[in-house]
Amino acid sequence: MFHSTQGVQGPDPVAFPSGEADATAGGTPILELRDIRIEYKGHEVVHGVSLAVQRGEVIALIGPSGAGKSSLLRSINFLEQPSAGQILVNGQLVQGQSGSRGAIARNKSLAAHRRDVGMVFQQFNLFPHLTALENVVLAQVHSLNRSKEEAVARARQELAHVGLTGHEDKYPAKCSGGQQQRIAIARALAMDPQLMLFDEPTSSLDPELGVEVLNTMKRLASEGMTMLVVTHEMHFAEDVADRVVFMADGAIVEEGPAEQVMLRPSSERAKTFLSAVRGR
Amino acid sequence: MELLALLSSGIGQTLGITFGALALGAVLAVPLAALRRSELPVASTAAKILIEGIRGIPPIVWLLLIYFALGETDLKLTTFQASVIGLGIVSTAYIAEIYRSGLEAIPSGQFEAADALGMPFGAKFFRVITPQAATVVIPPLATFAIGLLKDSALASVIGAQDITFRAFQEAQANLNGLTVFMWAALLYILLSIPIAALARYTGSRLTRKVAA
Repeated sequence: MFHSTQGVQGPDPVAFPSGEADATAGGTPILELRDIRIEYKGHEVVHGVSLAVQRGEVIALIGPSGAGKSSLLRSINFLEQPSAGQILVNGQLVQGQSGSRGAIARNKSLAAHRRDVGMVFQQFNLFPHLTALENVVLAQVHSLNRSKEEAVARARQELAHVGLTGHEDKYPAKCSGGQQQRIAIARALAMDPQLMLFDEPTSSLDPELGVEVLNTMKRLASEGMTMLVVTHEMHFAEDVADRVVFMADGAIVEEGPAEQVMLRPSSERAKTFLSAVRGR
Repeated sequence: MELLALLSSGIGQTLGITFGALALGAVLAVPLAALRRSELPVASTAAKILIEGIRGIPPIVWLLLIYFALGETDLKLTTFQASVIGLGIVSTAYIAEIYRSGLEAIPSGQFEAADALGMPFGAKFFRVITPQAATVVIPPLATFAIGLLKDSALASVIGAQDITFRAFQEAQANLNGLTVFMWAALLYILLSIPIAALARYTGSRLTRKVAA
């Protein structure tokens, strides 16, 4: 399961992935980022990051604020537009990297890619005018063209999966933050994603509510879901992630098996960061 | 009572002009608001100029422009139709700005969530964005509608036979202007009350779900 990839690379995207990755993981990565660069208002915030994710792998993306973790994660489903680089899912290049926002919205292959990639946001982003159940039903009907009955049955199943049976008819405003985030996870899971992206899923929650969400994520991980998690929860990174990627200043500084990066980081930058967050 | 009956005969035109112009504006404002929010600077600037241009001209001047301009063509327009078009143009600009504020009130996370779920544009717009924008848009839209009801009196200038037109005729004929216009004022108030009530009712129904 564990494998290493080169973190920061030169401009040649072909030099990826390393041979070792293929040897240990066997087969095409479910997701491959090649030399992703992201610019924000004319200055580059992610400087050519490459990363391969194998099916079933749980990766924690950690690092100081402003490291580009969230930007990188958001670029995977093009909520953030990479200025350069390639994104491959199961070895297939995802089209639609260029053009205006409107052009992307109309791009069929991009919509399909987004359906394959579940996203969980820091602020949940539930639809406030819909009940928990309706939140989980909506995209199933409109993106996957499932029948209403099928979508409702699946939504009930996913809400049960995240421990929210009995809350189907509540509006998000009537739910706790932890419940809202679990509804958001159910909403993403109902789309049958191949992988799930979590963008600081517990950062806007009280610690005790964050635990509910982390437990749900742990269960997903144990069920074999491929997950890429931007997080400040060091225990989650240590206990649940297979691999930890440490980013700083828009680049991957260090990556490796969770145990190694979390307990025996080799770079000074990671050592400083980890001792600072642990010292709190 | 005879006086009230006479004035009431103008209610149809007053309401017709108000809601005709409102409907015209509500529909035409959709593309204008979309253009205004366009990422293409040319489009958004053009929309901005159009909106400011329309709003910069007094409604009465719009009415006279439409009335005389269309008189030059072969199109035979009634004073009623000219009034609906004239006030409809004015409404388009104001309602486009109301729509824009409604769209801007929606957090970007809502657009992102719909995008991340791979939702097609139509579903995103009609199932996610519009229902939320509606709660923001309805109160200013109702205020605008009441304002428009009152502005519809301007149509009497080009001869539309609304409440004000009837009142003016009556006042000229019988020299009882104060009484006539007091009754006319009362009629306008009575007509605006249901619009305000409807707006409050719709607004509270829509926001009840979302409120914490």
